[in-house]
Amino acid sequence: MRLAERGIRTGVPFVVALVAIAVGYGLSVGLDGYFVYLGMSAVVAGISLLGLGVVTGSAGMISLCQLTFGAVGAWTVSALNEAQAPGGFLVWLLLGGLAAGVVGILVGLPALRLRGINLAVVTLGLAAAADLALVQLQFPGVSGGISVERPDAFSDDRSYFQLAIVVLVLCCLAVYFLRRGRWGSAWQAVAFSERGTAAAGTSVRTSKLTAFAVSATLGGISGGLLTGQVGLAFPASFTAIQSLALYVLAIMSGAHLIDMAVFGAVLWVGVPELLKRWGIPQDWGFVVFGVLGVQALASGGNLGTTVRQVWYRRSKKEPAKLDLAAGAVEIESKAPGPPVLTVRGLSVNFGHVAALSSVDIAVPEHGVLGVIGPNGAGKSTLVDAISGFLPNADGSVELGGKPLTGSPSNRARAGLRRTFQQDRVPPGLTVGAYLKFLARRRLTADEIGDALGFFGCPAARTPLSQVDVGARRLVEVVGHLLARPRVLLLDEPAAGLPHEEHVAFGERLRQVPARFGVSVLLIEHDLDLVRSVCDTITVLDFGRVLASGPQAEVLADPAVLKAYMGETELL
Amino acid sequence: MLQGALAGLAAGGLYAVLAVCLTLMSRLVRVVNFAQSATGMFGCYVAVFLSVDWGLPMWLATIAGILLGGLLSALLGWIVSTWLAEADTGTRSAVTVAVLLLLISLSFILFGNKPQPFHPILDGPAVTVGGVVISQVTVVTVALAVLVAVASRIVLSRTPAGVQLRALSERPTTAELLGIPAKRLSIAVWAVTGVVSTLVISIVAPSQSNDATSLAMLVVPASAAALLGGFRRLDLAVAGGLGLGLIQGAAAQVDGLSVVRYFLPFAVIVALLLWSQRKEVWDAAR
Repeated sequence: MRLAERGIRTGVPFVVALVAIAVGYGLSVGLDGYFVYLGMSAVVAGISLLGLGVVTGSAGMISLCQLTFGAVGAWTVSALNEAQAPGGFLVWLLLGGLAAGVVGILVGLPALRLRGINLAVVTLGLAAAADLALVQLQFPGVSGGISVERPDAFSDDRSYFQLAIVVLVLCCLAVYFLRRGRWGSAWQAVAFSERGTAAAGTSVRTSKLTAFAVSATLGGISGGLLTGQVGLAFPASFTAIQSLALYVLAIMSGAHLIDMAVFGAVLWVGVPELLKRWGIPQDWGFVVFGVLGVQALASGGNLGTTVRQVWYRRSKKEPAKLDLAAGAVEIESKAPGPPVLTVRGLSVNFGHVAALSSVDIAVPEHGVLGVIGPNGAGKSTLVDAISGFLPNADGSVELGGKPLTGSPSNRARAGLRRTFQQDRVPPGLTVGAYLKFLARRRLTADEIGDALGFFGCPAARTPLSQVDVGARRLVEVVGHLLARPRVLLLDEPAAGLPHEEHVAFGERLRQVPARFGVSVLLIEHDLDLVRSVCDTITVLDFGRVLASGPQAEVLADPAVLKAYMGETELL
Repeated sequence: MLQGALAGLAAGGLYAVLAVCLTLMSRLVRVVNFAQSATGMFGCYVAVFLSVDWGLPMWLATIAGILLGGLLSALLGWIVSTWLAEADTGTRSAVTVAVLLLLISLSFILFGNKPQPFHPILDGPAVTVGGVVISQVTVVTVALAVLVAVASRIVLSRTPAGVQLRALSERPTTAELLGIPAKRLSIAVWAVTGVVSTLVISIVAPSQSNDATSLAMLVVPASAAALLGGFRRLDLAVAGGLGLGLIQGAAAQVDGLSVVRYFLPFAVIVALLLWSQRKEVWDAAR
């Protein structure tokens, strides 16, 4: 039953693709020659926009040289054509895309270590420089008037338009499947939170670079197609100002949605055409794009999301909530074993403030260690330091007897996962896609369903944007558990839940070591929860370990009572 | 070679002034303003239009243009600080990209896409040292770059408004809660950088390639210069601007470097980014 459903869902994009090709064929036969030519231009722009949608819409960066990548593609195709290279136009087109992708990686490498704004500066610099250089150099074959030959089967305009449609549809399919796969989840994650991405064991730089490289490759393919359309490529088709306009159009239309990329391309060609017919200077087109772009950014939405909201409003749903009421099956818990995570002499200084001073902590195998302490005791700093977000921390961390060093993503892959106090869950994904992204391995539908059901989380099909914040953070916990790390650090996981659900959540948490084979370090303010879950407790106060040991002993320690409760006797 | 380098110094002063403006914007109002030089370009074009078509005296037209540049920038600042007060730097900067496109297209519509008939405000050599000529424009732009950087420094460190600005840039919410008029101060920063950019472009434009696209794209070498100071340090921004101008001027004298010359600012940007990103920095404090 489920298999059949999955088969249908995987088949849908291919059916849509076939319909699109059929529509394209209909247009190529039905329209008159001038419109067929315009259609080609729209397809070329559509592929470019699709690429921009990946880098700006999915990964949330500013890329201002999409047409420079087009120029790289066009240059490659023209040069191969002039040299009469073997393989013919379609092979050249692919090579043009690859060449642009390589240029994209070279440009992106220095820019993508951190802020997206650096990418904007680099790409604008490249666009401006390439603009001037192209005018001086001209494309290969232009001086000799050697125009690019279309493939024999597609030599006239109508059939070349059909070819262009097929290329566009293939690009759309590629983007569709990329966005649903690991890369796509990583793009969404990196756009929302770099820390969250690194904590999932995914390299921030690689995610950004893949987005930029895919975008550049599509740009290159679009430039190559354009060369086949016009025969001789000219620098005027690849100016910096047009790259700017294309970027603004991508922002305005929401080009990360495939249908909107196509619609944006229709605008790209249609608006200037209409202005021409009405006798208005064509530069007004860019003015309109600019104004609408500012409007879209200021209102935080775009055409695509607006259309979809209207669509969804008919099926308006309440935000999905947790359902922790149903009692889960109890599993025989294992006795805690020897320490699996050992931290020795951990110190962190921020300037002259000692946030942590020589802290020792041990998480037992199959156990749950509670870390408590007043606000400002250094609990979250501890998690940051262990998981590698504070490279300047002193001390040693050992996981399963091996020293744990390196970047957060390396540590996550080595089997140490963490959750965040803040919401670091990308709202653009569905629950299931997010779980797969966090787990970094193949998950069966049953595995996902069981884990979600165990914690009472919403179904895997639910978009995370429709899940309330408390439940979102539990989905994060589930995802990290499915990754089967050795140790999971939980930073106040119950903070977003209503109080009556804390106990139910605690019951589930107690079974985690036995059910998932993961040892847990739990930071929590709710002492009832700590009491019901933790075998051992470490108390932090002003960055030092105040007490550590079995639960009953620690909670009865007068020093702990004084630090944590003031003088009052609450326990 | 030396003559070439010194000829490039005029452009260097221009880059330095714009880089100081970019650095101030980035530090004080969390924006990398891609429309920085486009605003200046638009103000200058209006000035030329006023003097050529309306017959206003040169000085009056220039002042009107400079004021308009400031107004445009203030308007943009008002939009950003009204609707994108809480947004991140990336989104706020994206707005300026849209404005850059808008201003270039508008100037094409209003003034055509040919270089404008500028009347030089400053003309002729200032000093001749051992056969090497230094023009008045060079002296004024370099002086202006140093002046603007020093003035900004003094305002930020010695005046109450400067202290408020620094508070606003480091802890916007806390500053607002203390009763600092965030929006007014932000718009003032936008207006001042708009005036300064228009002023310096008015001085240099007559002796540079002054079509709309070239002038608007001056933001590229300017941001290369600003990157030397990491968009934070004014002194390094000035040094970067002057240095880049000198190198470009010297490279212009060498025939073999003609195409390579265009890529100089880009190469500087890439090199500086590689250097500045040795260490890992995260997107949020925690």
